Amino acid sequence: MQTDELERTLRPSLGDRITSVEAFPDTAGRVRFRREAALDVFRSVHALGFHHLSTVGGIDWVDHREVFYILWSDDTRQYVVLSTDVPASDAHVESATPVWPSANWHERETWELVDITFDHHPDLRHLLTPDGYAFHPLLRSFKLHEPEELEVKARHV
Amino acid sequence: MSEMWINMGPQHPMTHGLWNLRVRIEGEVILDVDPEMGYLHRGIEKISEDRHYNEVITLMDRTCYVAGLAWEHLYMLAAEEALHIRPPERAQYLRVLCEEFQRIASHLMWYAAFVQDIGLMSPFLYGMRDRDLILDLFQSYTGARMTYEYMRAGGVRNDLPPGFTDRARKVLDWLLPRFHEYDQLCLGSDIFHKRCDGLGKLSAEECIRHGVTGPMLRSAGRKRDLRRDRPYAVYDQLDFEVAVADGADVTGRYLVRMEEMRQSVRILYQVLDWLDRHPGPVMADQLPRWLGAPYAPVGREGYLLKRNYPKGVGFSAIEEPHGEALAYVVNEGGEHPYRVKFRSPVFANLAASRHYLVGYRVADIPPIMGSVDVCVGEVDR
Amino acid sequence: MASATLYSVSYDLSHLLLGGIASVFPDPLRAWISNGNVITGLAVLIFAALLLAASMLNTILLIWWERKLLGRFMDRRGAMHVGYAGLLQNFADGFKLFRKTTVQPREADALGFFTGPTAYMVTSMILFGVLPISSGWNSGALPLSLLLALAIFSFAPLFIFVSAWSSNNKYSLMGGMRSAAQMIAYEVPLLLAVVAVVIVAGSFDLTTIVYEQQNYWFWGPLFVALVVFVAGMLAEMERIPFDLPEAEAELVEGWNTEYGGMLFAFFMLADYLRSLIGSILVVLLFLGGWTMPSWVPSAATSFPLAGIFWFMLKTYLVFAVFVWIRAALPRVRTDQLLRVGWNRMIPLSLLAVFLAAALVTVKCVPVFGCLPSPGI
Repeated sequence: MQTDELERTLRPSLGDRITSVEAFPDTAGRVRFRREAALDVFRSVHALGFHHLSTVGGIDWVDHREVFYILWSDDTRQYVVLSTDVPASDAHVESATPVWPSANWHERETWELVDITFDHHPDLRHLLTPDGYAFHPLLRSFKLHEPEELEVKARHV
Repeated sequence: MSEMWINMGPQHPMTHGLWNLRVRIEGEVILDVDPEMGYLHRGIEKISEDRHYNEVITLMDRTCYVAGLAWEHLYMLAAEEALHIRPPERAQYLRVLCEEFQRIASHLMWYAAFVQDIGLMSPFLYGMRDRDLILDLFQSYTGARMTYEYMRAGGVRNDLPPGFTDRARKVLDWLLPRFHEYDQLCLGSDIFHKRCDGLGKLSAEECIRHGVTGPMLRSAGRKRDLRRDRPYAVYDQLDFEVAVADGADVTGRYLVRMEEMRQSVRILYQVLDWLDRHPGPVMADQLPRWLGAPYAPVGREGYLLKRNYPKGVGFSAIEEPHGEALAYVVNEGGEHPYRVKFRSPVFANLAASRHYLVGYRVADIPPIMGSVDVCVGEVDR
Repeated sequence: MASATLYSVSYDLSHLLLGGIASVFPDPLRAWISNGNVITGLAVLIFAALLLAASMLNTILLIWWERKLLGRFMDRRGAMHVGYAGLLQNFADGFKLFRKTTVQPREADALGFFTGPTAYMVTSMILFGVLPISSGWNSGALPLSLLLALAIFSFAPLFIFVSAWSSNNKYSLMGGMRSAAQMIAYEVPLLLAVVAVVIVAGSFDLTTIVYEQQNYWFWGPLFVALVVFVAGMLAEMERIPFDLPEAEAELVEGWNTEYGGMLFAFFMLADYLRSLIGSILVVLLFLGGWTMPSWVPSAATSFPLAGIFWFMLKTYLVFAVFVWIRAALPRVRTDQLLRVGWNRMIPLSLLAVFLAAALVTVKCVPVFGCLPSPGI
C-alpha cells in the first residue's frame, strides 16, 4: 500500500479529521490526525487490516507533544504510523485500548515518561517508575546534567 | 486455603531477571496476575538523547543482555536511516551473521532456563555449554562475550579474523546434532508433555489483539516473521523457512524455538559461504566526519560540521529472538538523536500475561513464563 | 560369619577404656568405675557415637557421590578442588554453613522454627540405629524393626509441616502442605509394597528378611513391589521427579525457604540421611542386604567387613539410580503426582501384595528357586 493509496482510502470516511498523510521511511506512511477524532481514526485504520498495534510513544517537541502509534497489517505486511499533536499545557488524548487492547502498557509507559494522559484508559498506573514518581523523564525539561556550552562564536569558525 | 496474593519476585527463581509477578491464588489455582516492572529501568531512551549516535550502541548491548547484537542491529538500521548512511553489503552480511548467531545463543539460553524451570537439570548445562561455543566465536571477532559494541553507523567495527568461517562452521556442525539431543531429552519424556502440553494457551487472534509477537505468535500457527514479511538487511537473499507450530501452548513455543535454531544454522551456512566468496570493505567510505569514533571527543568542531547535515527520521523493525522489535530514531540536527523509541517484544508479551496465566496452577507458572522467554533488560530498558 | 558385632566391639572398647582409667584411681572409685553397669553405659554411648559417625560420614560421602555423578551426567566434573576429587568439599560447605548466622524471621514462631529442623534431623538419625548393615553391624534382635523404621520414617511430614508453618512464609506454607500431601499419599503404596516383602519373608525383622533372601533376592519375584517401593521412596525422599515441596522454580525453596545457616544444613543433612536410609531399605528388602551374589568366591565372603562392603556397594549403586533419575527427568505437578499416587500406585501395590501371596502359596519359582522358609 502506497502513501497516496492510504490517503485515498482514509480521506473519504475521515475527511478533515486527518490533517495529512505523508511519506514515512519503510512504512505505508504517516497519518496525522486531530486528537479529538482519535477513536474514529483508530477504528478506520483498524478496519483497514492493521490489527496489530506495535507500540505507542510520545515525543516532546517542547511547545507541543506528539503521540505516535505504530501499527502492522498482516495482509499488506506493512507498518503504518499514526500521529497526533497535543499541546503541552493540555496533553491528553483518547486511549486506544478499546480498539487495540495491546495499547495498555504502551500508554501507561507514555503517560509516565512523556506526561501524556490517555482518557478512559482502564488502568493508568505507573509501570516503569515507582508509584508517586513526580517526574517525566522523557520530557526535554528533564536534564540528565547541565547542558553543554554549545554556543560557538562566529570568529571561531 | 483462602485467596491470597503472593509476590513471585523480584527475587524469585522463576523470574529470570528482576521483576515481580503478583499472583492472586486460591489453593493452587491462579485467579489474577499483575506483573510489576521497572526494577531494571535505566532510562535507556533518555540516556540515548544525551549521547552521540555511536555511543548509543553501548546501551544497546545492555538493553537485552542475551541478545545484544540483535539490538545493535535494530538500532543501527534506524540510526543509519535517520543519518542517511548506507552500509556496504559485506557489513550487512556480517550483521546478519551476528544476529543469527545471537538468535541461537539467545534460544540456547532460553532452553537452559526453561528446562531448569520444569526441573530438568542436565539439559540446563548442555544449553549453557553449547551457548559458550557461540560466545567464544563472538569473542574472537568482537572481543567481548556479552557487551560487544561491534556495529557502527555505516558498517561494523572490524572484519572477521582469518579462519573464522571454518571455526564457525565447526560450531554449526556440532550444534545441529545437539538440537536432536535436546529434543530427545524433552519431547521424549512423558513428564515433559504432562507438564507442558496445553499450558499457557493463547490463540493467534488473542496474540494479535494483545500485541504478542515472536515464537509465541508463531506457536499459534501464524506465520509472521519480519525477516520474511519485511526483509531488512540481506534477508531477502537468504533461504530459510519460518518456524511455526499449531499448539499455541508451551510445547508449541518449544518446537518453534527449536526449529528456529535449526533455520538459523541454515542461514548461517549461507552467510558464511557468502562471506568467504565476497571480501570487501565493512565500513561505508563516505561517512560524515562528525560521527567520529565512539568516545572520541567530538565537541565544538563536530557540532559545526553537523549543522548543515540533513535532518531525518529512522524507523526499523527486526525479528529479534523474542519477537518483533522496533526502533524509531528522530534526527533533528545536533550531535545526539532527538528522540529514540524502542519497542521491546517481551514488553508486549508480558503485558498479555493475564490472558495466558489465569486459570492455570501455581506450578504452571514456571513453564509458562519460561516459554515466554522474559528478558527484563529489554522490557524495562 | 564374623562373630564380632558392633555392640561387642563397643563393649570391649568400653571395658578396655574403663579398665585403664580405673587402674589409676584408688579403690572405692576403681570399683565403681569398673562396675558392669558403668561399662555397659559407656558401651552404649560408644555404640551411639559409632553409629552417628558412620551415618554422618556416609551421608556426606553420599552428597559427594551425588555431586560427582550429577556432574558427569551434566558433562562436567563436579567438585574438584577441595581434597582429592573434591572429597572434602562437603566438609568445607558444612563448615561454612556452621559459621553462618541463623536468621529467624521476625514474625516466625520461634518454637516451631527451631524444633522443626532439629526434630526432622534427629528422627532421621534415630532411624539409622534401627537398620542392620551386616550380620555384625546391627542393634540386635528387634522383631519389629521394619515397622519401627517405617514408623519413624513417616514422622517427617509432621516436622516439615511444623517448620514450614512456623516460618510464616507463603512459599514455605505451600511447600509444607505439598510435602504433607505427597508423603501421606505415597505412604500407603510404600507400606503395601513392604507388606508384600513381609508376606514372603514371614517376618518384620530386617535381619530375618535379609536371611530369607539367601536363595534369591526379592527384586525378581517381587518386581512390582520393587517398582512401587522405589517410586514411593522417591516421593518420600522428595527427589526429582517428585521434589515438588521444594520445587525451586515456583516455590523458591519450598518449606525451607526461610532457613539459613546450620538449620538449613540440618534439613540438607536430614534429606540426604533419608536418601541414604531409602537406598538402604531398598537394599535390605529387595537386594539381599549384605548377602553376596553366588559367584563371589567363598574366600572373599568370609573376609572381615565383606558384608558391610557389599552392603554399601549396593546402597551406593541404588542411590546412583536415584541420581540418574534426577538427572534425566523433569518434575511433575502436584495434582499429577497425587493422581498417580492414588490412582496408579495403590492398585499396583495391591497387585504386588497379591503376587507375594501367590509366591508364598507356590513356594518355588522356576528361575529363582525356593523360599528358605514358608513365610507368613
